[in-house]
Amino acid sequence: MPEITIDSYIILSTTLFIIGALGVLLRRNAIIVFMSIEMMLNAANLLFVAFSRHLGDIDGQVLVFFVITVAAAEVAVGLALIVAIFRTKKNIDIDTLNLMKG
Amino acid sequence: MGNTFVFMLLAAIAVGSAIGMLVSRDAVHSALFLVLNFITIAVFYLVLNAPFIAMVQVTVYAGAIMVLFMFVIMLLGAERLRGVWSDRTGEMVFAAFLGFLLLVIFLIALVMGNGDAVATAGMIDTSPVALGLRLFEAYIFPFEVVGILLLAAMIGVVILTISNKRGKNA
Amino acid sequence: MNAFGLAPLLLIFPVIGVLFNGFVGRQFVDADRKTGEKWSGWFGTMMAFGAFAVAVSLFLSLQAHDYHAEVVYILDWINIPSANFSVPWAMRIDTLSVTMMLVVTGVGTLIHIYAIGYMHGDQDFSRFFAYMNLFLFFMLILVSGSSYLMLFVGWEGVGLCSFLLIGFWFDRVDKNGVWKNANAARKAFVVNRIGDFGMVLAIILTFWAFGSLEFDPVFGTALEMFESGEPLFLFGQEIAFGTVITVITALFLLGATGKSAQIPLYVWLPDAMAGPTPVSALIHAATMVTSGIYLIVRSNVLFEMARLSIGDEMLFGVITTPDLVALVGASTALLAGLIAFTQFDIKGVLAYSTISQLGFMIAAVGMGAYVAGMFHLIMHAFFKALLFMSAGSVIHGMEHGHHHLHDHGDDDFDPQDMRTMGGLRHRMKITSVVYIIGALALAGIVPFAGFWSKDEILAHASANDSWVFTAVYVMLVFAAFSTAFYMGRQLKMVFFSKPRHDAAAHAEESSNLMTYPLIALAGLAVLGGLSNLPHFVKVEQAAHGEAVAHAAPDTFAFGLNYLGLEHWLEHSLDAFELTEEHILHMPHTPTNIQWFVAISSTVLAIFALSLAFFVVYRKKPETAQDPDPLQKTPIWWFSVLPLNTLYMSYFIPAFNRMAKWLAFSFDWTFWHDFVHDRLIRDMFVSFADFTSSVIDQKGVDGIVNGAASATRQLSGLLRRTESGYVRSYALSIFMGAVLLVIYFLFTTAG
Repeated sequence: MPEITIDSYIILSTTLFIIGALGVLLRRNAIIVFMSIEMMLNAANLLFVAFSRHLGDIDGQVLVFFVITVAAAEVAVGLALIVAIFRTKKNIDIDTLNLMKG
Repeated sequence: MGNTFVFMLLAAIAVGSAIGMLVSRDAVHSALFLVLNFITIAVFYLVLNAPFIAMVQVTVYAGAIMVLFMFVIMLLGAERLRGVWSDRTGEMVFAAFLGFLLLVIFLIALVMGNGDAVATAGMIDTSPVALGLRLFEAYIFPFEVVGILLLAAMIGVVILTISNKRGKNA
Repeated sequence: MNAFGLAPLLLIFPVIGVLFNGFVGRQFVDADRKTGEKWSGWFGTMMAFGAFAVAVSLFLSLQAHDYHAEVVYILDWINIPSANFSVPWAMRIDTLSVTMMLVVTGVGTLIHIYAIGYMHGDQDFSRFFAYMNLFLFFMLILVSGSSYLMLFVGWEGVGLCSFLLIGFWFDRVDKNGVWKNANAARKAFVVNRIGDFGMVLAIILTFWAFGSLEFDPVFGTALEMFESGEPLFLFGQEIAFGTVITVITALFLLGATGKSAQIPLYVWLPDAMAGPTPVSALIHAATMVTSGIYLIVRSNVLFEMARLSIGDEMLFGVITTPDLVALVGASTALLAGLIAFTQFDIKGVLAYSTISQLGFMIAAVGMGAYVAGMFHLIMHAFFKALLFMSAGSVIHGMEHGHHHLHDHGDDDFDPQDMRTMGGLRHRMKITSVVYIIGALALAGIVPFAGFWSKDEILAHASANDSWVFTAVYVMLVFAAFSTAFYMGRQLKMVFFSKPRHDAAAHAEESSNLMTYPLIALAGLAVLGGLSNLPHFVKVEQAAHGEAVAHAAPDTFAFGLNYLGLEHWLEHSLDAFELTEEHILHMPHTPTNIQWFVAISSTVLAIFALSLAFFVVYRKKPETAQDPDPLQKTPIWWFSVLPLNTLYMSYFIPAFNRMAKWLAFSFDWTFWHDFVHDRLIRDMFVSFADFTSSVIDQKGVDGIVNGAASATRQLSGLLRRTESGYVRSYALSIFMGAVLLVIYFLFTTAG
């Protein structure tokens, strides 16, 4: 059985990140997009913690702490935005939200 | 950095739930898959000797954020949408390609990577005490800023959702 | 005194006159007729008189300087050092040119004064005086030039002025609708041109043979070449010097026949009488027509050398040029004299008389009697100008008389027709007196001027033995006879006999402005002969072999001691040494009076005059419609002018056709239509079109607008990226992120 090194975590984290990125790019539902963003953040967090363990530095975990906090704030605001959009547009299909079209 | 078997299992669950979130038609299902993903990540944290972070993950992410998500999904009735995927095919393909490309690049980078990787360091003290000390000593300034950020977020949320019509359901 | 520096003034005065009358004279005349005419006319006259004063001063300077020729250099004209060709503007002041200058300016001034009166009331008063001064300018260039080229400039110039002045009233149409004046002017110019052709060829040959065009170098070189006897070479062919000289002088003769109205180029002079009378007096009696004689006298060295050519060197191997000159002159004199019998126009008689007298002069210089020729030239200037001006006075008188008649119904009235005149000696006393004096002078009655000069020519002709000279003598005698005859006829018709028309009966004397110059000229006609009286007492004949008589420059008959024309001129007529054998060929001019010739010619002249009086208007009563008694004689055949007919029927139609062709097809169709309109204008327009539409509109605008539209298109393209879809933006961010990852992973890390 191969040893689990930092490489494994890198691959895993990258995979999760890409899945999250694909979700942002491919899904129509704004909420799903948002959730995918959260997934991306999580992937990054995972890598941070992995490296913190790998390098023996606790700063990685401190950073994750901050990220989680900011993510929470961001989710709150983002969802409030979606609610506000929903009030006017009555749907959250991002393919129809193109008022800023040039 | 952990038992191989455990890692594999957890990795499979994480990726599987991620993909499930990606492809679910129903938003609620996506949210639930995401919750599973988050919990899996929390277990990973435990494996990686970060107990406090793991607990924070479960509390904030899986507990608060996803609940909030659920609330909004229910509120907006966004379980079902007409279409799932974007109808801009070209972009979809391109995005998929980019994603794949990125994965490939990382793999290549890993394979080509340095042979003299730093060996895993020994276990360190990652108790909440240590984390807290670190936080309040070295990172006090960001800590305060984040606090202000939270405050701003709260205010922003209130303003964004305030309705001119009193009593009307938002 | 030394007035040679003043010589350019001789030319400048007339130029000032031209400028004044040409530019401002008209304003004076238009403003106030009376004073304007005074200003314009007297200004021109003063300029002529100024030139005369300069000529007098030059005359005195020459006297003080031992009669040596002086060349006054004015400025450089043509200077080609590599071809050794240099012709400057320079004036040659020697006795010959001063003689001509005095005649031209002196008689010219008198004629100017006359013209002020004659041209009174004319529309183009000041233009006339401008042209007259211009003529003086060119004539003075002709006589004072120091080179053949300058002479030719004057030659052409007087031809031009002749054209301008003959055709002065160019818009006058006679009763048949013919533009008589314009045609006459054109005829004069065209015929002159033929002579000018000869002149140009002669000048070219002169330069080729002698390497220069100035008189002194030419004559000097000619003498050297004559003495050395070497031939010249043309395209490798050897040409004897004598042949060259013969050809050159023959071409000069051609030029002279054009200007001096000899056979065959005399046809222009009778027509030239269409011009105003002062023009006829100045140009066609006194000055321009004498330029041919001046030319030959100036080139006497060349002509004397040509006289000595023998055998093949002669013209067509038959006759030497000077002999030809003499024969041409004599035959012209006779022919013209006979034609004059048949003329009814008062000026026509005088015109043919001029041609005849010019023939005398040409014959004289052809025989080598240069002094005699010049003498006759001067005398002729006096009495011919006098005659013409008096004729003008008569014409004016007739017109006045015609005006005063109560019935002007006679539109056919020609004031110049002698048949309508008669008895004018009672009505126009001064005019008739001076006219009679002039006529007697012309006829050669002693002691008037014409006698002495004509006599000298006849004497010269009789004193030498070649068949040419004898023929010339006979012809000239007949010509002299006819001169007297036609003058007598004219006198009888005009002044004596009864008036045949009411206009003549009411004719009036002309103004003082016209009669005073007449009186002055009459005085000159009477006394002119004194300038070259022959020796009445036999003096030792000058040694043979001298081209010009070199008699002792002092005593004359009656013990008077003054300078005669002969001695005056001999300083200009180059004498040259000859070898023994040539001596025998040179004609010598007798300086003693030849009694036989003198008496016989006088008797003949008186006989002719009386015959004329007898023949003309014998029957009484006389009417204008009386046929001329001469019509019954063969003389009348001379009224048909063969050369004139040739000119009219052959030359004029061809000339008109060519002129029409030049005007329509060449000038209009080719030059205007094709070259101007199609070629230049259309090319220009299409070029402008091209520039505006292609270059400007499409090109420049295209670039400018194209830049703008390209920008717009580009922005249109780029706008697509702003799809409004967040997703697309996210995609691009993702793409950027991937690229960054690639960059960092593979460049910085290992």
